[in-house]
Amino acid sequence: MSDTGTTSPGTTRPARRAGGPADPVKTLMHSHRELCERAVDPLEIAAGLEAHGVTDRAAARFRHRDVFSLAEELYARVPRATDSGPDTTVAAAPHPSRAGDPRAGWALRTLLPGAVCAAALLALRYAGGTGAGIRLAIGAAGAVALAVALTIALRRGPLRVEGHTARVSRLWVCWLLAYTLYGDGLPRVLHAGTGDGRPATTPLTDAATPLVALAFAVAPAAWCAHLLSVQARRRLTDSRGLAEFASRTRPVLLALFALYAGALTALALLAELVLGGRPGSGHLAATVALGSLLLLARLLTVHGFPKAAATGLVTACAVEAVALALAAAGRVPGLESAAVPVRALADAGGAGAVPALACGAAALGLLIHAAVTLSRASAHT
Amino acid sequence: MLVRIGLLTDGGYPYATGESRLWCDRLVRGLAQHEFDVYALSRSAQQEGNGWIQLPPSVLRVRTAPLWSAQGDGRAYGRRERRRFVGHFEELITAVRTPDEGAAEGGGGDRARHTAAFAEGLYGLAELARDHGGLATALRSETAVRILESACHAPGARRGVRGATVPDYLVFADQLERALRPLSLDWYDDEGLGAVDLCHATTGGSAALAGLLAKRFFGTPLLVTEYGVQLRAHYLAAGSGGDAPLRAPVRALLAAFQGRLAAEVYRQAAVITPGNTHARRWQERCGADRAKLRTVYPGMETERFAALGEREAGGDSGDPRTLVWVGRIEPAKDLISLLHAFADIRKEEPEARLRIIGAAAQGAEATAYLAHCRALAAQLFPDEAADAHAVGDNCVSFEEVGGPGAPELVDAYAAGGVIVLSSIVEGFPVSLVEAMFCGRATVSTDVGAVVEVIGGTGLVVPPRNPRALADACVALLRDPRRRERLGAAARARALELFTVEQNVAAFHGIYLELISHAPVRRPAETVDAHGEPLPFANPAEAYVPGHWTAGRAGTVTAPTPGPVPGPVPMVPPVSMPRPPTVPVPVPVAMSSTARPRASRPAEAVGAVAGPTRGESDV
Repeated sequence: MSDTGTTSPGTTRPARRAGGPADPVKTLMHSHRELCERAVDPLEIAAGLEAHGVTDRAAARFRHRDVFSLAEELYARVPRATDSGPDTTVAAAPHPSRAGDPRAGWALRTLLPGAVCAAALLALRYAGGTGAGIRLAIGAAGAVALAVALTIALRRGPLRVEGHTARVSRLWVCWLLAYTLYGDGLPRVLHAGTGDGRPATTPLTDAATPLVALAFAVAPAAWCAHLLSVQARRRLTDSRGLAEFASRTRPVLLALFALYAGALTALALLAELVLGGRPGSGHLAATVALGSLLLLARLLTVHGFPKAAATGLVTACAVEAVALALAAAGRVPGLESAAVPVRALADAGGAGAVPALACGAAALGLLIHAAVTLSRASAHT
Repeated sequence: MLVRIGLLTDGGYPYATGESRLWCDRLVRGLAQHEFDVYALSRSAQQEGNGWIQLPPSVLRVRTAPLWSAQGDGRAYGRRERRRFVGHFEELITAVRTPDEGAAEGGGGDRARHTAAFAEGLYGLAELARDHGGLATALRSETAVRILESACHAPGARRGVRGATVPDYLVFADQLERALRPLSLDWYDDEGLGAVDLCHATTGGSAALAGLLAKRFFGTPLLVTEYGVQLRAHYLAAGSGGDAPLRAPVRALLAAFQGRLAAEVYRQAAVITPGNTHARRWQERCGADRAKLRTVYPGMETERFAALGEREAGGDSGDPRTLVWVGRIEPAKDLISLLHAFADIRKEEPEARLRIIGAAAQGAEATAYLAHCRALAAQLFPDEAADAHAVGDNCVSFEEVGGPGAPELVDAYAAGGVIVLSSIVEGFPVSLVEAMFCGRATVSTDVGAVVEVIGGTGLVVPPRNPRALADACVALLRDPRRRERLGAAARARALELFTVEQNVAAFHGIYLELISHAPVRRPAETVDAHGEPLPFANPAEAYVPGHWTAGRAGTVTAPTPGPVPGPVPMVPPVSMPRPPTVPVPVPVAMSSTARPRASRPAEAVGAVAGPTRGESDV
């Protein structure tokens, strides 16, 4: 083979480099500039050079023992972008935004529960004169439709929960909603023994008014969660540190919560005006408190704190259950004093005072918790 | 002797779409006298959906775990556990973010220190995960992110990580959680990896991480086989970026983590078997002790080529005017250069023909490249006809395996007198080995493991040098006796080095040596029912002082320490005194056939690295 002379390394000299600069590494550096600039250590350059066909024998032409030492020289000589200034790559958040999904018409879907709930209520109203069986059927169908609508509204969009972490909480949410519907029975329990002339109970059609407001409140809740996600993402990318991120995110969280509470209050008032509701100022407070509790629980679950959310919901349920139990115990002769605090509360604030207090306290606890945990960067991945 | 082997795979065997499944399958079937427990990590839901290949009866059981799905149990740590987590995680991260000073030559001590610190943190986290679970949640928690932040901004951090921002911490915590998922598996109990006699990790990285923990918890010896070095694959994957390019600080941290992990795997492994010298160099570079390295070449099926290779001895050496190129058509194969070289060949040998026989092109890029090559061939070589009335034909033909010209792969090799390989990038050149099995003379470019494979039984030219390629081809086309000689030598070499049998025999020998020299010490098995020590409960070789791959017996002068009690009796092999000038170590008790074969390629490569450029044509 030596007769041809072209295949021995001693005589192989690429024509490009024969008359080139005195520093052959510079040529190599130029042709692999991008690789060298983005490399984080010499081994990355070595791997890249090998992938471009530079072997140890080729490295010998640059007066290096092997590709590794050639890569080390390149790494030492090339100025890297990270040294001279900020990285030009945009610091992207770890995961794409939830709302960034273009096919998710989540904003429209969040109106679905409210619409379904209102329709069911109107149907119940118009069926007022018919038999109890039909009303029951309409009520059951409305409940099922509402559950389906809620699932559809929450499955996509900013309130979506990954995995099955929210499954346990559903039970507590059902209890809280049921109390909203039937909680007016509490005064009857309290005062049945005293022969008070209060109305026995409000009709279900009136008691469901707060439910309509809550169902419509899914839309502002989703928007608040979306805005929180967007704002947090923006702060993630331009914060210098974790502490700065926390201090900049907390006001946003509180402001968005206040926005939601205001929207919910407006919705509740509107629902009362349009549909007519129960008398008593406690109901409005109870609705707002329950809505706030549900939003905070959902937000915490979405951002990876399902246990805290469940704790908040369970607390509210427990307080309501204890109130009912105390009221029932007050009817037992000799235990009248047990119902005194509940009665005082109901007399002062109406039937809605108990759920307002229960949900309000739980919501306050969750708000404090959320102000701490949701302002952490790790919650927004 | 029956050995129970824990085969650790990552995205490979036994899944039907896995990498390296053929090799594992041949190994498991070839060593049917041993028992295999397969511990497989899967890479994607699609891979799991495609199912397994058929398993031989020697595979006693298979345990799988997905690496692609988050499996956080949502369990938060209490105060004591969190304190443990913080301590170990800080140790791990500090070792990752601190660079080795003077990594070029004198960084050995620095690297060993940092690797040890890394290992402490890693094992601490593994023990925490085994005791309490919940590691996935903790790794993504605010605590972990805060530790990352302070570590990146502490003095002494690597150059690349100082510019890290909040998203970088989150992305790195996420990636780290993925990388450390093997720590949370339920494999580390007495029914799982505690029951096997040795762990054979078929790749580095995640699979070897499981082996590391088995070694830590049970003292199971670890054998690591790498046909492609995991760290290099990591760099190439990170370099291309994929769909979501990572920022420089994250890449720096990830690369450092993988580097430390590789160093710890190499430190703890009893034997490391690279698939070729290229992998071996990378492993040495990443801190592998040369005494533990044994090259074991991948084995290939030879039956298909046996008929052609043996007929070769009779003198049928293919069409003497035809050059054949076989492979998958893609830009890395540099067919352009081949076509230019062929233009030069035609000037010298007007009768020469070139047949490019490729697998069907897959993907848009390959299709475009094939069209480009066809166009160039049509430009360079006009159709020719024998006379004015005959239909013309082109001297360059593009065919597919399975087409009329080459119904089987072996027909492709049979068609030509000289097989050409013109790649600019190549790992282990499979088509070259096939040509060698067929007893064909070859001309190849000096890339990847080509020189090591061909070892002087074919011509080797520099890549991207059409003139040299043409000269080598012309020289072979004009010299039938030389072609015959080279072909016979190539076939002999391939039969010795690249058969399935040599691969299986090498691993068989390594298995037996491993369990005799570094057995799992189970105190319960070394005593009888009355608590008296059983004779020969441990093999005699296990008492030989020093690390058994470390060289000649005379070099170890330390007194016999005797068996060390306790669950982790193995002395870290890297700490043993070892003479630095043992180029190809000879084990203390050499009984298997693995060693001579494994050590031969190094010599062969050394021989061909000389000025004659890969020909021992005497």
